[in-house]
Amino acid sequence: MSYQEDLPETSGYSKVSVVISAIVGIVLAVVAVWWAAGTAVFYEGLFRVAPTVEGGGIGADWVAGNTVPWLDFLVAVVHAADVIMGLFILLMVFIHWAAFRRLAGQMQGPDEGSQQAVATDGGETE
Amino acid sequence: MTSLDHGKFTRVTTTFHSLLALDVFALFFTGYSLTFNDELWWLLSLMGGPESVTALHRAAGFGLIALIGFWATLMVTSETGRSNFQDVMPTGEDIKAFIQDVQFALGNADERHPAAKQFAGGDTDDVPLLSYIGKGVVFIFAVELFLLTVSGLLIWSKTGLMQYFNTKTAAMGFVIFHGLLGVIMLMGVMFHIFEHGFHPAFYPVEPKAFIPRELIPETHADGGISDLSLAPSWSTVSTVMGVLTVVGIVSVMVGSIFDEGYPVPRELTVGGGPESLLLTIGINAGIFVLFVGLVLSMYGNLLRVRWERRLEEDRRQPAATDGGHPDDD
Repeated sequence: MSYQEDLPETSGYSKVSVVISAIVGIVLAVVAVWWAAGTAVFYEGLFRVAPTVEGGGIGADWVAGNTVPWLDFLVAVVHAADVIMGLFILLMVFIHWAAFRRLAGQMQGPDEGSQQAVATDGGETE
Repeated sequence: MTSLDHGKFTRVTTTFHSLLALDVFALFFTGYSLTFNDELWWLLSLMGGPESVTALHRAAGFGLIALIGFWATLMVTSETGRSNFQDVMPTGEDIKAFIQDVQFALGNADERHPAAKQFAGGDTDDVPLLSYIGKGVVFIFAVELFLLTVSGLLIWSKTGLMQYFNTKTAAMGFVIFHGLLGVIMLMGVMFHIFEHGFHPAFYPVEPKAFIPRELIPETHADGGISDLSLAPSWSTVSTVMGVLTVVGIVSVMVGSIFDEGYPVPRELTVGGGPESLLLTIGINAGIFVLFVGLVLSMYGNLLRVRWERRLEEDRRQPAATDGGHPDDD
């Protein structure tokens, strides 16, 4: 676009990079989803493998379910992370909220601005 | 447009940011209407019930993987992407900026650290590409998105997952993990919306993520925050949004504690938290903050379109007879 000629030269991304990345992204998504959906094909086998509590087959899930220690641990960790990160994010909100109020205090108030401008140049403000 | 603005993102980045935001909002609205279904029942119904919502969530999940794959490839294969890695690395200045921000908020420092500033107020050399918050967002969101994608793919087909773990509860354990993990991002995005939407100098939206830096003439070297006038509605609106953001964050945090769901209840529902009116109101407040973020994202893009048009019109006018631009002053 010609009207932009004198605007700053900024290094962007080349078209080739963008196109290649877009293709890689879509291929990755298709493969990932194909893999995730593809695993469903074998579910019938699951229920026929070992229909006992010991084997973890059909009917055994509620009994044997809580015995994946690392998954149990993972859920506990993410519970803790929710609270720790939540408190940290709240702290960030409060710091920024207070900082914004201070910055707003340094700015000209909505009414104050026009009064000052009138006083300095005697003209009308926009 | 204030004199303090300067674009920081390239055109590809602004477009990517908008697409990612839209996709993540879609994931939040669908995912949390399932997780917090007893608080967000209306949202679940609005989107056509659990089955429709699950399908929409998966479609958005597909989009997310494509976007992540695109961005990761672009960062590695392009010169600009590789050079940005240095700008993303945390430094000692970022820690100083955090401490100074606390001091500034308490009134013990006169101004914010350059690594905390969201605008230049000088030229781009003085203020780093990313504030310490920006770097935090990049790292936390990158880890979050990766873990959410992996766990999301694992539970895409719960029967497939059961094949590996042989139990339904293990599959549900992953669902819970996925949902609770998302809560961190949900809270982070609420803060992100507040931080970039309600800065007094940029209210109602900071345009740096929408107007590409190639379209911003570098003419904002002088002028400070005291030259700007505050929007009449800023005080009220920022207070309301601040309250809603805090209530929203606290509520989804509390909701994530109550909706632990593991060991899993008899019914295959992820929710099942207390029928608390307060929590219902709070979680809905959080969803409202997200909705405001969605609207602001749209508005940011509208600003870009208007900015481009104005720039084009201004530059076509013969007013620039002195060789300068009408905007130069």
